[in-house]
Amino acid sequence: MFNYTFRWNQALQALPQMLNGALVTLEIALLSMAIGLVCAVALTLFRRSDSRILKGFAATWVEVARNTPALFQIYMAHFGLGAFGVHLSPFTSLLAGIAFNNAGYLSENFRGALKAIPDTQARAGRSLGLTSLQAFRYILLPQMLRIAFLPATNQMVWAILMTSLGVTVGMNTDLAGVTQALNAKSFRTFEFFAIAAVIYYVIAKVVTLAARALAWRLFRS
Amino acid sequence: MTIKALALSLMAAAAIVAPAKADKLDDIIASGTLRCAVVLDFPPMGSRDAANNPVGFDVDYCNDLAKVLGVTAEIVETPFPERIPALMSGRVDVGVASTSDTLERAKTVGMTIPYFAFEMAVTANEKSGVKSFEDMKGKTVGATAGTYEAIALEAQVKTWGSGEFRPYQTQADVFLALSQGQIDATVSTSTVAQANVKTGNFPGIAVVGKAPFDIDYVSLFTNREEYGLINYLNLFINQQVRTGRYKELYAKWVGGEAPNLTVPGVYR
Repeated sequence: MFNYTFRWNQALQALPQMLNGALVTLEIALLSMAIGLVCAVALTLFRRSDSRILKGFAATWVEVARNTPALFQIYMAHFGLGAFGVHLSPFTSLLAGIAFNNAGYLSENFRGALKAIPDTQARAGRSLGLTSLQAFRYILLPQMLRIAFLPATNQMVWAILMTSLGVTVGMNTDLAGVTQALNAKSFRTFEFFAIAAVIYYVIAKVVTLAARALAWRLFRS
Repeated sequence: MTIKALALSLMAAAAIVAPAKADKLDDIIASGTLRCAVVLDFPPMGSRDAANNPVGFDVDYCNDLAKVLGVTAEIVETPFPERIPALMSGRVDVGVASTSDTLERAKTVGMTIPYFAFEMAVTANEKSGVKSFEDMKGKTVGATAGTYEAIALEAQVKTWGSGEFRPYQTQADVFLALSQGQIDATVSTSTVAQANVKTGNFPGIAVVGKAPFDIDYVSLFTNREEYGLINYLNLFINQQVRTGRYKELYAKWVGGEAPNLTVPGVYR
């Protein structure tokens, strides 16, 4: 039988602590997106390059990032590298794991976006005397980013939610970590997790709406 | 028939028809199964043997309890942070999970008298230079999230004002991190520390001393309002000590003299 007495007051007292945790969560998500975007553009270039090594590197990254659980990617950054004496702090492990995942997915988004741009555009650019890289930089990249913008906001939301996996590598300052610690002390599990869920929801919603507003400002024509 | 008489006869009928409300103790006996939350990455209290069967002090303790209740024991593997949620969601009846009897937790669940007592030990990575509890100041230390020692150690790191505390999800992760040098030292119960060092799974670590935390008394727990069951559990713990079974299990799983379960000067 369901057998639980709610004590919201006890949980709500911890709200300031949890909101501080939410800031750390947002910070990791934004940083991981920034790193992920830069890596994804690089991966996209690697895939278009003629070098087999670069192509293979990018393909492997994308395959691993997209086809293994994010939890393992973060765990590997901490305990996997740790086995070889490379010690990343919980914060860095979490950031590295999410950025790795982001880069893989964003690079696939970019690939899809590039397919949507007609070949003739790059060719027109080349015939005007641009180098291949210049054509990418000035003609393809801006259009690619524009097409991939909304799918990328999806990844941003996913990044926010992935931060909760940090608890597996000892992260205790983000929203999930703070919630976990509060729960361990009092066992008011339902209340704390419910509040945390609402905060995650609000952050994700605000980010989505902000991205839409930004898209409207940037792309309306 | 007056209204008063009608009311009285209705009440009398209701008293005969309405069954007595069964409590959890009755439910367990009636169901024939006692479901215990046990932590199985916490040797020698709970772990798995080579054939993957649950073994340990807590496992035996649950089996003893089931035996006196006349039911079958079901060991439900429960990680540390999920012990109370497992009870709250009705997945287990009783926690036999080395649970420290903190006052904060007693607001949520009903705690019995102590059934086991732990001393705290410092285990360090040999490369870290940590030789005692005091040496941990300013270092990166860790412990299993949500445990008594994790809460005490985190508070200590805050008091010291330097160093870093990291909570890990399982005891195995703590010792893995310690062995890899991700953290310099940990505080755990001395039984766990010895058992983990002995396994040889975690090279480069050693138990270097005691941690000056209070003795960690651990209780069985069940729902806060189940007085009938809590009374029964208290008596069971008393009987385990009286009959010598506590000493026997202690010798089997830990070795040495079983610690006293009472605090001098108070009743419980």
